Amino acid sequence: MADEALFHFLHNELIHYAYKSAEQGEVENGRCITRLENMGFRVGQGLIERFTKDTARFKDELDVMKFICKDFWTSVFKKQIDNLRTNHQGIYVLQDNKFRLLTQMSAGKQYLEHAPRYLAFTCGMVRGGLSNLGVKSIVTAEVSVMPACKFQVMIQKM
Amino acid sequence: MAVCIAVIAKENYPLYIRSIPAENKLKFHYMVHTSLDVVEEKISTVGKALVDQRELYLGLLYPTEDYKVYGYVTNSKVKFVIVVDSSNTALRDNEIRSMFRKLHNSYTDVMCNPFYNPGDTIQSKSFDTMVSGMMLQAC
Amino acid sequence: MESPEGKPIIYTMENKPIATCAGDQNVFTALYQTLARELPREPMEWRRSYGRPPKMIHLEANFVQFKEELLPSEGNKALLTFPFLHIYWTDCCDTEVYKSSVKDDITKWQNILKNYNTVDWLIVLVDSDAKKKNKTNILPRTSIVDKIRSDFCNKQSDRCVVLSDPLKESSRSQESWNAFLNKLRTLLLMSFTKNLGKFEDDMRTLREKRTEPGWSFCEYFMVQEELAFVFEMLQQYEDALVQYDELDALFTQYVVNFGAGDGAKWLKSFCQPVRSWNGLILRKPIDMEKRDLIQKNGASLLDLRSYLFSRQCTLLIFLQRPWEVTQRALELLHNCVQELRLLEVSVPLGALDCWVFLSCLEVLQRIEGCCDRAQLESNSSHTVGLWTYATEKLKSLGYLCGLASENGPNSEDLNRTVDLLAGLGEERPETASSLQSPYKILKEALSSVETFEKHYLQQSCAAMEMYKTIGRLRSARLIGKSLAEFYMRKGDPQKAETFLQDALKIYLAEGWALPVTHTRKQLAECQKQLGQTENYLQTSSLLASDVNLTEEERKHFCQEILNFANCQDDNQVQKIILGMSTFAQLKELHFEPSSAVVHVGGILNIELSLFSHMPVAVLLENIVASVHFSIEKSNFRKATEWQGKQRKVSLGSNGIIHFQSDPPIGSPCQSNMPSLELYEMYDKSPSDNSLNSTGVICKNVHLLLRRQESVSSIEMPSAISVEDGAQSLRANNTLLQPGLNKIVFSTQAKDPGLYTLRQLVATVGRVQFVLPHIYPIVQYEIYSQEPNLKVEPLNDNLLAGIAQRVKFTLFTGHYTIRNGDALQLSNADSLIILCSAKYVATILANTGEKIKDSTLMVQSSEKVTSITLPLASAYHIVEFELEVMCHIPSSIPKSESERLTNGELYRKTKERHNPELCMVSLDQKISIDCPWSIYSTIIALTFYIPFKVKHSLLSAGKRKYIQVCLQNMSDVSFNLSDPQLKEIMKYPNVNLISMNQENQQQIFSKQNVFYLWELKWSKELPSCLQCQLSVMFSPSSDEDEPNSLKPYTHDFIMENIYTLYTIKAEIYPSLGSEHCRTGCLCSLEVSIMRIAELLETDRDEALTESDGLCTTKLMYEVVDNSSNWAVCGKSSGVISMPVAARAIHKVHMEVMPLFAGNLPFPTVRIFKYLPHHSIHMAQPDTDSLIENDTLSIDKSLDEQADSSSIRSRTSTHSASSEHKGLPMPRLQPFSIGQVFNSSAGMQVLVVPSKDDHVLEVNVT
Repeated sequence: MADEALFHFLHNELIHYAYKSAEQGEVENGRCITRLENMGFRVGQGLIERFTKDTARFKDELDVMKFICKDFWTSVFKKQIDNLRTNHQGIYVLQDNKFRLLTQMSAGKQYLEHAPRYLAFTCGMVRGGLSNLGVKSIVTAEVSVMPACKFQVMIQKM
Repeated sequence: MAVCIAVIAKENYPLYIRSIPAENKLKFHYMVHTSLDVVEEKISTVGKALVDQRELYLGLLYPTEDYKVYGYVTNSKVKFVIVVDSSNTALRDNEIRSMFRKLHNSYTDVMCNPFYNPGDTIQSKSFDTMVSGMMLQAC
Repeated sequence: MESPEGKPIIYTMENKPIATCAGDQNVFTALYQTLARELPREPMEWRRSYGRPPKMIHLEANFVQFKEELLPSEGNKALLTFPFLHIYWTDCCDTEVYKSSVKDDITKWQNILKNYNTVDWLIVLVDSDAKKKNKTNILPRTSIVDKIRSDFCNKQSDRCVVLSDPLKESSRSQESWNAFLNKLRTLLLMSFTKNLGKFEDDMRTLREKRTEPGWSFCEYFMVQEELAFVFEMLQQYEDALVQYDELDALFTQYVVNFGAGDGAKWLKSFCQPVRSWNGLILRKPIDMEKRDLIQKNGASLLDLRSYLFSRQCTLLIFLQRPWEVTQRALELLHNCVQELRLLEVSVPLGALDCWVFLSCLEVLQRIEGCCDRAQLESNSSHTVGLWTYATEKLKSLGYLCGLASENGPNSEDLNRTVDLLAGLGEERPETASSLQSPYKILKEALSSVETFEKHYLQQSCAAMEMYKTIGRLRSARLIGKSLAEFYMRKGDPQKAETFLQDALKIYLAEGWALPVTHTRKQLAECQKQLGQTENYLQTSSLLASDVNLTEEERKHFCQEILNFANCQDDNQVQKIILGMSTFAQLKELHFEPSSAVVHVGGILNIELSLFSHMPVAVLLENIVASVHFSIEKSNFRKATEWQGKQRKVSLGSNGIIHFQSDPPIGSPCQSNMPSLELYEMYDKSPSDNSLNSTGVICKNVHLLLRRQESVSSIEMPSAISVEDGAQSLRANNTLLQPGLNKIVFSTQAKDPGLYTLRQLVATVGRVQFVLPHIYPIVQYEIYSQEPNLKVEPLNDNLLAGIAQRVKFTLFTGHYTIRNGDALQLSNADSLIILCSAKYVATILANTGEKIKDSTLMVQSSEKVTSITLPLASAYHIVEFELEVMCHIPSSIPKSESERLTNGELYRKTKERHNPELCMVSLDQKISIDCPWSIYSTIIALTFYIPFKVKHSLLSAGKRKYIQVCLQNMSDVSFNLSDPQLKEIMKYPNVNLISMNQENQQQIFSKQNVFYLWELKWSKELPSCLQCQLSVMFSPSSDEDEPNSLKPYTHDFIMENIYTLYTIKAEIYPSLGSEHCRTGCLCSLEVSIMRIAELLETDRDEALTESDGLCTTKLMYEVVDNSSNWAVCGKSSGVISMPVAARAIHKVHMEVMPLFAGNLPFPTVRIFKYLPHHSIHMAQPDTDSLIENDTLSIDKSLDEQADSSSIRSRTSTHSASSEHKGLPMPRLQPFSIGQVFNSSAGMQVLVVPSKDDHVLEVNVT
């Protein structure tokens, strides 16, 4: 992963751009989230290809998720997911208590209303990574107190 | 060294397949396609397999009278297949491995190329030259 | 105990390492049983040389009587016959006997051993009490042992062991047994280690020599195999196998080197042409013939390989590793084929195939022999390879021997078959018994076409089944394909088809273009033979459009279609229907007009861009788009709605619809999933809606989480039907060039409604290519429209009185304007249309683009104005502007009244709230007769009057002036000219003299202009005057002559103009002072003078006549609104005024100035005093009033006066209104002209008084 700061600034600009262009009506509003997510998706695809280049083949879904929480997260956000939970029915909840992209923004409820747009890209990245590992999924996110953040991964059974 | 090198998508359609000599292209297509059987077999057994057996290199998929077909699968379930001439007995296993590694690296670059749209057939020149490099060493 | 034969025994299962027995045979024999039983009981750890891992082994031995011949001579490599241990048995317990015989015997034995320098020996001394019994002189047992030890085993005393009472069941005997057995085992192992080690060393040295000339592989082979044998004998199969593998590797290496160029000489012997190819033999543990061949350097490569493998196979089976056998077998067979090629060994055609085939079956049967069904089932993944290999070989043999052809083998084929069979030689005895031996199978398979087919099918099906069971579908399909090929050769396309279809499916599903193409080609051939015309053509069209084929091939298949299409056939009736997608692809569709909306009778062009996949140009008899028609509700719309409006369908701008191309088989399974829709989530707390949490959520999870169905194959769905819509667009005889083509459908719009394109059908002779559904939906609309006329002002407010431009817009709709058609405007006299030559009408198409201009004829008669319309066809727009003028009515009745005048002119005020600021509006209705309808259209226009007028009467004594104020309400500025005021009644003696300076004047928007006239009269002045103001005006903007316009006129009436009274007030300072002072009373004198004689206006109750002298009652009142004055005493009063000119009435009263300075006079007003009629009319009061009006003591009036005086400040003259109970008189004001106050506006100087306190008082 590139220098953290670079990534963060780029990420911020990305969001800024997306919403700007939305205001200027280039894309109908509300879709920017999806747009950002899609960008993330492509990035995730690429990243996972690199990150898994030298790892052993994954045993199963859980194995994959662990990889996302450990190696993937570390490579992108310089820290691991703090807590991974699953119902063994294809739903995983990844809890990051100090989510890198939110840390500079606020510690608490301030700017909470802006948080979603700062999660979309990551959602996409996770989805992209997973899908490239052959795990089709839907990734959503939730923040109640920044910078803690929950990502929920719903696996699509093939 | 190799007579045919193929990259096959998750969904088992060819992303890239190249063979020499050109005339019996078709034969290789059939061969590579059939080899997917074994690849899938090997992948499916991964669950039971021990960690050290879970390496990406799948080894010899199956030998035929004239060719040896080797397999490799990335974590993204993209398969690489290398076919070498059986008469080329000098070829050692680790040489095949290294070929696969080169292939994988090159493929990764392709994946990270903004002009490549995942799932499309590979058009990248650099990838192509790398592949032909591995094929030419034979003669 | 068995005696060894002279020639070395070759390995059998019973074989054991040899130990020799010398000395007293009887002793040994007695113990043999026990010994043989006890020796293997306990395992012994064998420590190995060369760091090989130690092993626990159960030792056995084959005890033979000692003979000198047994001892191996120098350089004898035989290991199996090698005596590993020499044992000397004795039970001597008598010293004498020992000295006499035993000692010498041992010595001799020892010497022999020494000659062969074997050190592996042991002396066993058995002592039993039984023997001792009959002995007289008994020495202690030990003595003999000691003797032997001292005599023979110097410094290795352990080489002599005592076995005491071996046949007794005693603990003692047990111990000695164990000790003995241990010793025995140890020594045996030592011997093994030593001798095998030595052997291996020799072997290695021999191997090192392999580069030297004259080194023979076969020799070496025998040596190492010997080792293998020994290991096997010791049941060390692993080690044994290693020996063979080493040999295998060594040999392979040589072959490789040979390939690389440096061939060893000995290898030549293996390069001899292959003469026999009777596969592997795995049924016996060891194949002596081949071994001998190898020993005698007579083995061919195949012999060597076969032998090696048979040995490996046996060992592997011992090791319970049958699946390794199958795997190795496959490698071996492939390898052999390679090696023969490499060594350029001449092999008869088909020989190898036979060999491989036989070998495969042999291996398989061998495995079957040693495993049960279940195992085989579960491990078919290991065996299937061999099966397929065998099948392939059998197939190629069949082809080779002409057994797979429609008309059996020819003589040449037969000869070849014979040769091949000859090469098999006789069947081997060991397989002779089994009916299904490979040998038999092959012989039978090659014997006839039928039997070949039978076996080939068996093989194939078996292989296929296996593949299916282990889920290797692709492999199964591949076999299926080769089966199909076989069937095609046999001329049995029926059977072939299904296999081909199956194969095709999987290739399509996984998107492998080349296999697809190839299989399709085969399928096409097959379908052709089967006469499945439709399928064949469909496939052909697929192939014709297949870029993976060469141009020629594509042309061929395309030609096939065309040939069929054009061949004249009796059953022309039904056409062959094919899917269009392969033939050509609809890229885009272009509407002209782009709105895709056309009026009835209009022309609609639809341009298709059709991409032909055919390699050659194809002539389409016609291409038809079937159209679905539906009456759309709300169809008859106002034309205005159509202006440049688009159909609501997915029409891109400029009316182009793009069709996305179906994905090529390069990547079949692109996700047909819906893309996920994410939204920002804000979870507000219900109480105060502060954010609980936010996030990203997915709206269409339910859609996404559904398992998506497997990829549907791209093959044409079987049933495509041509629906014959009543309506259709068609283009005939279009030549479809390869690549992009443009086809234009042109249609004349008929019935209004909504038209939807359904199908596209291209017909080539008997073939129809059908695009079953056109998606996205393509629709166009036909509408019909009533003619209609629209009239609107150009600028928002039309001004009355001046020329205004009005725009006429005429939508012809379905009506065509013919020559002489005209609009008849029935004139309202207040609204005229100004005729002029310069009117121009513009004709536009409905879509809005201009077509032409043409001049417009406008004639006006007094009744009607007729506008001759220019010729315009249906669904066009005629636009023109007319100048109209609305006259301003001279008199504007009350605003409120809204009554129609017969001139269809009525007025009402808009914006009631402030009539001052807004113009009075006139709504004009024009009724227009249009040529297309019998009813006349009524159009309302609202005009606004730009001006407003106020007038006022001014008097100076008797002289009278009329002032008129003209307000310009509009936003336009006007030029005003010659204002005139006329007296309408035309009284002879009255005339108005204008006092206005200039005649020309400009009045800007929202400005006023004042005019003044003096009213002069000679004799009596009429009580009422009707005047009319008239002013010429024209907008100052346009320079052209304003005289075309009518003047603006305004009528008004004036009454009571004549002055009846003049009032004069004067204020004098109190006596003695020349100035009025604040706080000091001054006297105010008001003199009211009657000017006129008795007039009409005086006729009212106030007038009383008594003996010819008339008087009238007036009430005067002094009011000071500015409260500068305090009026003291009566401020008002009633006087009776004689109605005669010059009659004067003076009134005096006291006023006190409250301020210093020049104070305006208090106002003096007079009213007519109309007393009430009551029975007790206060005559005397009035009289008394008349007498002394200066000081009245009349109570009531006094009060009244006081009250009024007090109330004077608040200046209400309606004092009487407050009269309680009393009948009150009425006051009537004079109209403005009747009273002239000459002292209005006069002032008097008041100087401040000295004493302030008075002022103080007064102020309060």
